Amino acid sequence: MASTIIGSGITIEGDIASDEDVVVSGTVRGKLSAREGVVVEQGGVVEADIQGGATSVAGSVTGNIHSTDRVDLQGGAKVVGNVKATRITIADGAQFKGNVDMDV
Amino acid sequence: MSSVIGKSAVVRGKVRGDGDLEVQGHVEGEITVSGDVTVEAGGLVGAAVNGRRIVVRGAVRGDLVASEAIELGNGARVVGDVRAPRIAITEGALVRGHVQTQGAGASSTPRAAATSRAAATPVKATPAPVRAATPARAPAPAARPVPAPAPSTRKVEAKPAAGRGSVLAGARPAAPPPMVVPVLKKGTKVTKKR
Repeated sequence: MASTIIGSGITIEGDIASDEDVVVSGTVRGKLSAREGVVVEQGGVVEADIQGGATSVAGSVTGNIHSTDRVDLQGGAKVVGNVKATRITIADGAQFKGNVDMDV
Repeated sequence: MSSVIGKSAVVRGKVRGDGDLEVQGHVEGEITVSGDVTVEAGGLVGAAVNGRRIVVRGAVRGDLVASEAIELGNGARVVGDVRAPRIAITEGALVRGHVQTQGAGASSTPRAAATSRAAATPVKATPAPVRAATPARAPAPAARPVPAPAPSTRKVEAKPAAGRGSVLAGARPAAPPPMVVPVLKKGTKVTKKR
């Protein structure tokens, strides 16, 4: 149950800030910050830095991902940017280019 | 898939694209979508909204333009112009701005335009008191009873009209006009407000 959903076909150019979950199936350019989870679904495009809780990516992200919890890059995901999180998983088939910082 | 800007979400920037959009939170930029836009109670849009159908139960500071219809529900607060082929303004909605049916792209039947215009008129009357910094809801009922005292207002208006030209004075003796009175009254009222 996500409170904010960017549907496919919708483009947001600008900043999004939310205290709850954010699901992106469309396009976001700018900045995306959520206190809770962020989900970039298959087909979703984020050209922005993501700051959030548990983050799951199945779509495309160009920008840095900074999570206070975990980041999961799923098969089919395409990420260009640095990832900083306490836990990170990269599934088989995910494309990833960038640095990983696990805050050791 | 429809989109939702959640209750706690703040968007600073443009929202555009295809599909429906529901705003429960806060959008500071322009919204342009091909589908329906719903601004829920508690939702706030600080810029223009363009869509097919627009339903407002929250607040909008900006122009509303719909290709099909606009509905301002109870609790809606709109500061800006409202334009669509069909416009419904429910009791309890607050509007400050120009309201215009038609001219938003799709054509509308004169009847539909007339009905919605009739619905819009009492609300049009509200902005004037609102500007005078009076609470918005009070003037609305006050504007409605107006049809009753109509005859007196008409007489007052008729006199200056006679003064304007003798041609009008000559036409005036025709008694039948009372039938046309409601229309006349509204027309004159509106022009006066403007």
